[in-house]
Amino acid sequence: MPDFIQQTLSLREFGFDPDGTGPSQRYRQFFTMEQLAFYLRENFPFSAYVSVALYEKPSRREGWIKSELAFDVDAKDLPVKPCGCGEGQVCERCLEEARRVVMLLSDVLSSDLGLRELRFSYSGRGFHLRVLDESVSKLEQNERAQVVSYVTGGVVPTDLTFVLGYSKVFREFCARTLERLPEERLREVFPKLAKRIQEKKAEVVEALRRGRREEIRGLVGKEERLLEFLAKLNSTWVDGKVTVDVKRILRLPSTLHSGVSMKCVYIRDIENFSLDQAVPRFALEGRG
Amino acid sequence: MFPFREYAAVLDFFSPEARELVRSSPPLSSLPQEVLDRAVGRLLWRSGSEMVVGFSQEEVRKEVLSFFLMCQALASVSYPYSREVRLAGGKTEEVVRYRLYHLFGRGYEFPCLEVMRRYLRVEELGELGGRLPREDLFRIRNQSLRKAGILLPPESVPPQHQPRYSLPWTDLAPLLRVGRVQLTELYLVGGRAVVTPYQLWDFFSGLMGLKCEEYVASLYERFSERGEPPELLVKVGERISSLLPPPEVELGTRFPRGRLREEFFPPCVKRALAGVSSGGRNYAITVLLTSFLSHARLPPPGRAVTKIRDLPEGFSVVKEEIIPLIFEAAQRCRPPLFVDQPQEKANVYYHLGFGMTTDPRPEDSGRSKWYRPPNCQKISSSAPFLCTPDEWCREIKNPLTYYYKRLRLEGRRDGVPKGDAGGEKEVLPGGVEQA
Repeated sequence: MPDFIQQTLSLREFGFDPDGTGPSQRYRQFFTMEQLAFYLRENFPFSAYVSVALYEKPSRREGWIKSELAFDVDAKDLPVKPCGCGEGQVCERCLEEARRVVMLLSDVLSSDLGLRELRFSYSGRGFHLRVLDESVSKLEQNERAQVVSYVTGGVVPTDLTFVLGYSKVFREFCARTLERLPEERLREVFPKLAKRIQEKKAEVVEALRRGRREEIRGLVGKEERLLEFLAKLNSTWVDGKVTVDVKRILRLPSTLHSGVSMKCVYIRDIENFSLDQAVPRFALEGRG
Repeated sequence: MFPFREYAAVLDFFSPEARELVRSSPPLSSLPQEVLDRAVGRLLWRSGSEMVVGFSQEEVRKEVLSFFLMCQALASVSYPYSREVRLAGGKTEEVVRYRLYHLFGRGYEFPCLEVMRRYLRVEELGELGGRLPREDLFRIRNQSLRKAGILLPPESVPPQHQPRYSLPWTDLAPLLRVGRVQLTELYLVGGRAVVTPYQLWDFFSGLMGLKCEEYVASLYERFSERGEPPELLVKVGERISSLLPPPEVELGTRFPRGRLREEFFPPCVKRALAGVSSGGRNYAITVLLTSFLSHARLPPPGRAVTKIRDLPEGFSVVKEEIIPLIFEAAQRCRPPLFVDQPQEKANVYYHLGFGMTTDPRPEDSGRSKWYRPPNCQKISSSAPFLCTPDEWCREIKNPLTYYYKRLRLEGRRDGVPKGDAGGEKEVLPGGVEQA
């Protein structure tokens, strides 16, 4: 279990799923790792969760002290999938895509927002990114929602051409989203233009990267609507509900995701993370 | 430096200098007429000459006292975040912004920055500016000019529109919270927002406007704790209200009048609405719910209203909307409140100001006192079973302030990113991620 959880163990709320139906047992507090280990051995919960918040009285969820700024990129909910997976399905390519999104987020969080102490974990079906930086730990829902919009490129900027800053974030996320967008999805929103956008996709992506609105308009017309559509999709790369909720509980790193038989693991090096690190020992033994 | 230390108070009414001035001044009842008139008139200030305060100790004192008198007067006749209070916040913002512009132009940039640094960790752009792309600096300048309504390209760029400072974006959290600043509209590098003096004035004056609104809200809670506000304040408050322009939107439809938003009710009211057990029913229904629902649905319109019949459609709203809600909640109690205590129906009307009756008429309004909702402290001591605070409760002392505050902050929010499920319920804290 990562240090940042161990060191604040007694200030966190724990939650457990006793029967596979969801974490119905909440408001649990543990003062030592031994207590927690004992509880797990005695009760064999399906899943274990821990709060992003620290409380004076975690067992009553009272006396909120602060919360990590958490991001959840769930591979099953990616707005655009690079593979053939349908909604709710996950394959290794989806997971790789989720990992790349988390890396992009962490870049923006550190370069633009100046945040330090970013912690990553593999949740079993996606990735969690927790920001421990004190400067954001007291932010409330509305500010957190604004952070989500910023780091995902969820709002069309007034000026697309700034070299750095939000305009750059927006351009990069839009280009990324459009590159992966299949023609069928485009057709749902732009029935008449989808074919043209698809044909000119490479040029539109390039124009997007350079912030050239007029060029996009020249290529496909209705650039405003296209940008708004992409912004909306951008904002769904992460689950914003998780970020704004200062009392959220997230899967506890070092425990098993019983739905997929993978471990939720703390990741020290996100760039070189391999899914093998999350395969539980019993599954490896089973493979022979 | 300013010619004297106390001058900082005309930029920051909540500074130690301002507090000191108030402490060393005569009590409210003996304030000179000039201060009373200034408190009444300041919401109508239009020209810069009205807003500027000269370098005289006496002028500064009058300015600070009139500001506090205005806030207290508004709190005594209005409710938190009402139109009047928002106008006061907006005007405070405008006044502080103009003063900054005025003082910067007269060479007082550094003392102004010193005052601003109490809230915003502003630094000269310096080396960071040299590392930024030049074209971005031009774009920041152009955005600042556009915001000021200056046509591009100007013949000469006023210095207040050149990027000159940076500050941590997290210092702007109070403004982000209420949506006065959008993070995506800031130019952020390494955690700092690069800004022009013009933008900086906006941020600082915005903070002062917010602090003014919050101050009035805290006064409202203080007054409701003590009972009736002093008569002098009520008189000044009514004078202020009578001078204000009529609302642009029809009274019956503007925030926070209109439909009650149950999702923004505080936990204690939600509990009372759900019905409670014997022993707590009278307090929950007659004392809390009756006063809360009536004030939430019929907030005073900026003058000292003490009777429901003085409010437009007040009587019909009570009969058709508020009473049914109260009686339904009473029916949900265990046992239903009016089954074994039928006299409590009359007590409900009594708390609404109609005297002891079960069949009120409009002309009965005023026979008894229209009770304000009790403060949180009172609720938690008289009916602890109702008090299960959530994180919004941390900053408020009265259930009504809770409602107004959430209406203001969340009622305007369009929703949260990620549109798969959406909906208010999903946004409520305490959820769980099940990845």
